[in-house]
Amino acid sequence: MTAGTNQNSNDRTDAPFIKITDLHKSFKGVKAVDGLSFTVKKGELFAFLGVNGAGKSTTINIISGILPKDGGTVIVCGADPDVKAESVKSKIGIVFQSSVLDKHLSVYDNLKYRAALYGIIGEQFKRRLDELDQLLDLKEILKRPLCKLSGGQRRRADIARALVHNPELLVLDEPTTGLDPQTRQAVWNVIENLRATRGLTVFLTTHYMEEAANADYVLILDSGKKVAEGTPHELKTAYATDTVRIYSHIEEAVALFSSLGYVVKRERDYADIEVSDMFAATQLILRYPELFDDYEVLKGNMDSVFLRVTGNKIMEVR
Amino acid sequence: MEGKKLYALTVRNIKCYFKDKFLFFVSLITPMTLLVLFVTFLRSVYIDSFNGIFESFGFYAEERLVNGLAGSWLLSSVVSVCAVTVAVCSNAVMIQDKIDGSVNDIKISPVKGTTLSLSYFIANFAVTLIVILAVLVVGFAYLAIVGWYIPFTDVLLIVADTLCCVLFGALVAGVIESFISTQGALSAVSTLVSGMYGFICGAYMPMSQFPDGMRNFLCVLPGTYGVGMLRKHFMQGYVQELGRLGLSEQGQKALQDSFDGNIYVGKTQMPLWSMYVILLGTCAVLLAVYIAIVVLKNKKHIPKKQ
Repeated sequence: MTAGTNQNSNDRTDAPFIKITDLHKSFKGVKAVDGLSFTVKKGELFAFLGVNGAGKSTTINIISGILPKDGGTVIVCGADPDVKAESVKSKIGIVFQSSVLDKHLSVYDNLKYRAALYGIIGEQFKRRLDELDQLLDLKEILKRPLCKLSGGQRRRADIARALVHNPELLVLDEPTTGLDPQTRQAVWNVIENLRATRGLTVFLTTHYMEEAANADYVLILDSGKKVAEGTPHELKTAYATDTVRIYSHIEEAVALFSSLGYVVKRERDYADIEVSDMFAATQLILRYPELFDDYEVLKGNMDSVFLRVTGNKIMEVR
Repeated sequence: MEGKKLYALTVRNIKCYFKDKFLFFVSLITPMTLLVLFVTFLRSVYIDSFNGIFESFGFYAEERLVNGLAGSWLLSSVVSVCAVTVAVCSNAVMIQDKIDGSVNDIKISPVKGTTLSLSYFIANFAVTLIVILAVLVVGFAYLAIVGWYIPFTDVLLIVADTLCCVLFGALVAGVIESFISTQGALSAVSTLVSGMYGFICGAYMPMSQFPDGMRNFLCVLPGTYGVGMLRKHFMQGYVQELGRLGLSEQGQKALQDSFDGNIYVGKTQMPLWSMYVILLGTCAVLLAVYIAIVVLKNKKHIPKKQ
């Protein structure tokens, strides 16, 4: 169940930054990752989606060398994390789902002790801290303990920690969960800036589908298996249903299209008619032009892709 | 390079402990309980007991000597108990790292698992030593006020005993807490150790007053010999002064026997050197166990399917 999978898989073999083939991982007999294969190209924003428990965190832990794999091959930055853990780890920065910095220590101390683990100490650390300050505006929070910071400030500290050693790959595990829209935007501005200026490769997991919609490539995981992959456009074309929203002749349109078997949703000021794709929408409008004085065609979004890809399976099981 | 990482992690662990006021407070519960008990009634109980022994040998001791002896006995209790209870609590930094996920943040950096484990152990040893040395300094200041009769060599020996006890405590905490990864288990172990260790090392009442069966059981525990070493060196100066003032040798022996200045296994009095051998030998065994645990935990799983 992949969107243009073969075509894409072939296209994506050149210069893979991460290449995972037939990855397996179980915990006490429960399969967390089951035959997963994918590639991430250098410099791209790769969205890795799935419901809770789909195997996202396990895969991230294997990529970053925290967990050993049971089977398959994993190549990150040209090396297997199980074999050359130190080399891989020095090239990866992770922003965890919830802050894992030391809450009683100041942001400065947190960054100082974490940087030392990469051999960044003394003058080198000061220079790096200046760079991070310019990027993330850390000055005001440097001396404050982490537990006294707001959610947004804490996230800035987390990103600073992930970038402290100038990684080539930034793993973002639900980086904006629980943040207000302004802070979310600020976080994304920083990430986009890094991608534009440094060509950083970003591996993203998120529950916000509008964030995934901006990715270069998306993979959807369910029960440890890949269920769909492709660019956002390919996925939307393959799985999302489009909607014709009509603002005039509402009563007539609802009666007609319901009788014709369309899924119609009546709202206060408009009605939504679900259509399979843009071609079907055009056909509908051309066939009943008298009803379409005031209307718009809404392209299916990543929410509907995700729900269809992961939700269909749930419905099948039921 | 690994040495610099070890240093950074150790300093970080020490800071985490001292900046966490709750953790710091919890680890001082036992010494504070002892101090409260001492101020409220233990001091007078000790003094009455000392005077009872002196009277039975027809001796009268001046107040300053008795007060100092009571204070030094308390201080030996506090030091020996803290060596284990503070170590168990300060090692909570390691468990807290597992609970809140900080350990994963450290593990994603290019640092060896053995370096991380060693940093926890060194930090725990350092924290426990700092707390106990602070307690010792305050305790010595108190003894200087109420009655100081400890010769300089005994002060050095007390510091040496303290180092041995702290090493023992840090290793016990390291081994036990290697298997803990939840807040509930940590609380249970901390409470159990804080509550029980004071009794089983004779901090509240001398082991000599326990029934024979209990006393024999305590002789199996290596920590007992750490307490014995400290008692010996804390009391020695006072006992010598009492002897100089006229307390008979039987009287001196009775005092030391009653207040654990001498440790007996059955009817045999344990020589001081044997206490060092037992305690340091136990430390060597614990160290071997700790190293085995660390090595096993850090060993990569062999992939089942390639």
